[in-house]
Amino acid sequence: MASSPLLNRLMAALRCLPGVGPKSAQRMALHLLERDREGARRLAEDLQAALDGIDRCQQCRDLSETAVCSLCADPNRDRSLLCVIETPADVWAVEQATGFRGLYFVLMGHLSPLDGIGPAELGLETLEARLDGGEIHEIILATNPTVEGEATAYYIAELARERDIRATRIAHGVPLGGELEYVDGGTLAHAFAGRRDL
Amino acid sequence: MRILLQPAFILHRRPYRNTSLLLEVLSREQGRLGLVARGAVGPRSRLKGLLQAFAPLLLSWSGAGDLATLIGAEEEKQPAPLPPGRVLAGLYVNELLVRLLPRLDPQPGLFDAYETLLTELATLADEEPPLRRFEKRLLEELGYGLSLECEALSGQPIVAEAHYHYVLDQGPLAVAGEQAGVPITGHGLLALRDGDLSDPAVLPEVKRLTRAALAVQLRGRALKTRELYRARRAR
Repeated sequence: MASSPLLNRLMAALRCLPGVGPKSAQRMALHLLERDREGARRLAEDLQAALDGIDRCQQCRDLSETAVCSLCADPNRDRSLLCVIETPADVWAVEQATGFRGLYFVLMGHLSPLDGIGPAELGLETLEARLDGGEIHEIILATNPTVEGEATAYYIAELARERDIRATRIAHGVPLGGELEYVDGGTLAHAFAGRRDL
Repeated sequence: MRILLQPAFILHRRPYRNTSLLLEVLSREQGRLGLVARGAVGPRSRLKGLLQAFAPLLLSWSGAGDLATLIGAEEEKQPAPLPPGRVLAGLYVNELLVRLLPRLDPQPGLFDAYETLLTELATLADEEPPLRRFEKRLLEELGYGLSLECEALSGQPIVAEAHYHYVLDQGPLAVAGEQAGVPITGHGLLALRDGDLSDPAVLPEVKRLTRAALAVQLRGRALKTRELYRARRAR
């Protein structure tokens, strides 16, 4: 059994998942084949269905089953607010944690010239077209607070400024319940620079 | 081999595996090298906010060869953060260093020049003069420094009022009329030699010269950051 080519292929395929090495791949493969063949079949079908059925939303570039995702199509959302974000996972995080009722635009990354990721790869032409549409009054830049995320936010803010659209950046600072002593200097410097009246 | 608390800057970082980072680092005593930062972007990592480009760091690593393992990182001093509008200039210099510097070739002088450059980018009103000074220094460290003292054929000192054509493998030639090479005034050559680029009139010609000299070193490969600059200007 140890040399079954199909089993080897399955274990190699499972290793495409994050955090799965050879040992976990082996356990997963054996579990599916020995104990849960029904679950394995469902997994295979759902995986196939998801791959065939999920594409990018034409408006926000988030993952979606329809040409325009349910969020973008929702008439109750505030269409004058646009939040620019790096990944679909970030959309989930913002949706669950905040009361944000506007729309999103998902970059699927950040500007990173050394990795060959420029404005075209981030779909910024689509974004520019949306800014030109005249519906948006404020663009909220919620890219990650990394050097590349800041560069991306600045680049997009320039696009907005050229069109007289307000561009705002999410605040950076000390995490809630955090202790100043253990916060790194960069974050603390940001927190002080971005202090506000009480 | 263990290196402890070495002054260094991160030039580039890219995600590696699930929660790790591959860092491209410029260190003072060891030159450019690659480091793996295991678990650096994981939920419990204390290094997350620290391992950023343009911040002066003290890095510790172990292992030999091209790719060592990061074992510790501390802030060296209060970072002078690059204003958002200058990040692109910083990324441009980082791209130059990653493309041109050989790995594990220590150049403390260049490291210090990089430190000065970042401070100047964060504080000066114009980003062009510090960039040109750094490009000149980089060319020198690579062993292809520009010849800015005298005319290449006659050996006569450069005259500020004269016009030259800079031919890259020879130097400035005082020949009139249409010529190969980069046209540049004596004033421009002397300004670059002294690093005093306060006269905005010389900036375009000095930029043409350093760009042509760097293009030879880049062997025709385009710089990605330059494309980004172009995209910004095109609007």
